[in-house]
Amino acid sequence: MCVKILKLGKLRKLEDGRASVEEERGRVKVAQRCMTKANYLTTLSFTRWVKDWANATPLFEQAALNFKLVKMPEEAKLAYQQAAMGQIKQSSPWTAAKHMEAAGVLAKELSCWNEVVDFFKQASALYVECGKVQPGADALIRGARAVQELKPNDALTMYMDACRLLEDDNREQMAFDTYRAASNLYIKLNKYREAAVVLLRWGQAANKCKATQSQCKAYLSAIIVYLYAESYEDALACYNNCASMDVFSKSDQDQCAQLLFLAYREGRANEIKHVISTSTIIPHLDHMIIRLAKQLPQGKVMSQEVPEMDIT
Amino acid sequence: MSVIDILTRVDVLCKKYEKYDLDKQWAGADSMSGNDQFLRLYTVVEADIEAAREKSQDAQSEKNRAVVATLNAEVRRSKAALKAEIPKLEKLAAKKVKDLSKEEMAARPDLVVALAQKIEDIPDGVTVGRPGGTWGRKASNPLEIKLDAMHPDDLMRPEHYEQTEESLALRQEYEMRRAKQDEGLDIIAAGLTTLKDMAGDINEELDKQMPLIDEVDTKVDRAAADLKNTNIRLKETLTKMRSNRNFCIDLILIVLILGIGGTLYTYSFSPFTPSYVCLQPLLMYQQVRSAHMMDGAKPLRRNRGLLFMSGWSSE
Repeated sequence: MCVKILKLGKLRKLEDGRASVEEERGRVKVAQRCMTKANYLTTLSFTRWVKDWANATPLFEQAALNFKLVKMPEEAKLAYQQAAMGQIKQSSPWTAAKHMEAAGVLAKELSCWNEVVDFFKQASALYVECGKVQPGADALIRGARAVQELKPNDALTMYMDACRLLEDDNREQMAFDTYRAASNLYIKLNKYREAAVVLLRWGQAANKCKATQSQCKAYLSAIIVYLYAESYEDALACYNNCASMDVFSKSDQDQCAQLLFLAYREGRANEIKHVISTSTIIPHLDHMIIRLAKQLPQGKVMSQEVPEMDIT
Repeated sequence: MSVIDILTRVDVLCKKYEKYDLDKQWAGADSMSGNDQFLRLYTVVEADIEAAREKSQDAQSEKNRAVVATLNAEVRRSKAALKAEIPKLEKLAAKKVKDLSKEEMAARPDLVVALAQKIEDIPDGVTVGRPGGTWGRKASNPLEIKLDAMHPDDLMRPEHYEQTEESLALRQEYEMRRAKQDEGLDIIAAGLTTLKDMAGDINEELDKQMPLIDEVDTKVDRAAADLKNTNIRLKETLTKMRSNRNFCIDLILIVLILGIGGTLYTYSFSPFTPSYVCLQPLLMYQQVRSAHMMDGAKPLRRNRGLLFMSGWSSE
């Protein structure tokens, strides 16, 4: 009896498999038909002087959906592109942006990285066009995340554009994750000064929206990055600038920075390591910054002379 | 006045005030035997002991603690000074003196010892009855705490500042407990720092989410208002559609349709309609069959051909 049931189950599965194959074939046919018809409607000819986007766009969308379901990304990408164009022509930038994003995702599957960047940038522009800055920035961030492994420079550009968009719209708080991602990417690429600049920008944005915790953490992270890049003077200048702010000067992060600079001034590597290992502030920073801090001091550590004050 | 007169006057004055000339007296005393020296010193020391005892008694009767402390300090100072004189007395007592009997000579050291004991017996605010215990020596009760128990001589002894076993053990235990406390406090500090950091992050996240929630709230309110308006309009439209007049019209139309249907049905079975002609053989068979059944005969065999023509299904 059980064997019978099992056999029946296998048969049903086989039948289902066969059904799914047939279903897939049906979808492909439908998609191809829709695509052909839509292309026909959007091709100018002697009898058609204006492209019929109103009728072609739903066909393109249907074709794209079907191609996506049967896992034909190339055709689906083209269909989504055409659908987006159709929506733009019909003055619906929101839907067009959605289609561009979908095309971008498919381009990522196909490893067409340039197209990924272009599609996500276009999607962002479309979102901004319909007054939605947050989705526009999110689109840029998603695109940057998709290409950051293979096209890091483009990813960085997209991250910074997203930050700029949010800053212009007074939504700095939503940009914190973007700053973090950008600084981490810079650190990965060993561009420490740029990373420190991004961290300082993060601190500035946090200052604007009164996020004191993030502000102090960002400043301390920038100091650590400068120290890791073996530029003690830049780190000290950064600290002096940050310490002029009450928020930072009264914080635990400032005390930690003071201890660090004291150890650096004395030129004792063991003391620096001890300060970092026993600090209760550094473990709460970002994991990339913690990793850098644990590798301090970098390079030769010499005792730093405190500049004498000229009282004349 | 002549010089002679002046000299005579000076001599008279010097003689008159000779007793105040200490140097002469001392010289006279030195020229005398050592007996007076011992006696003199002994007398002086005894007088000082008496004075110290009086001070001590005053201190015991005094109520004011500050005055008591001052008096006791003076008594202790006097005692220390007197004790310093004891070795001198002992030396002088050992000296041979003219015109002094052997018994008196032998008694002098005892006198000195008695004098020393008298000095020790003067109460000076320190715990009375200490068995010569000084700082650093093992007392009978090691846990007994004594305040102001320091003897001046004890301070000068080199072993005064050395540690005993008890003090070492106490110090070690103190250090151990302090280290444990420090450890515990460090752990608490680390935990508090983590909590502070988490609380700060939560605060920032809430600040970030607040305007978003406000925006969602506004949009939902707007959507709700739109929905309400739409519902009202839909209701109005439905009311219009379902008005009484329309209902009556609908009813009348339904009745009409039913009437027409019924007429058609009746008309279809009248002799003058083609359908009646087609259905006639069937009707005849039915009549024959029912008549035959009433006569009690066997049922006729079914005519499948007729049945097929009429479209009846086989029984």
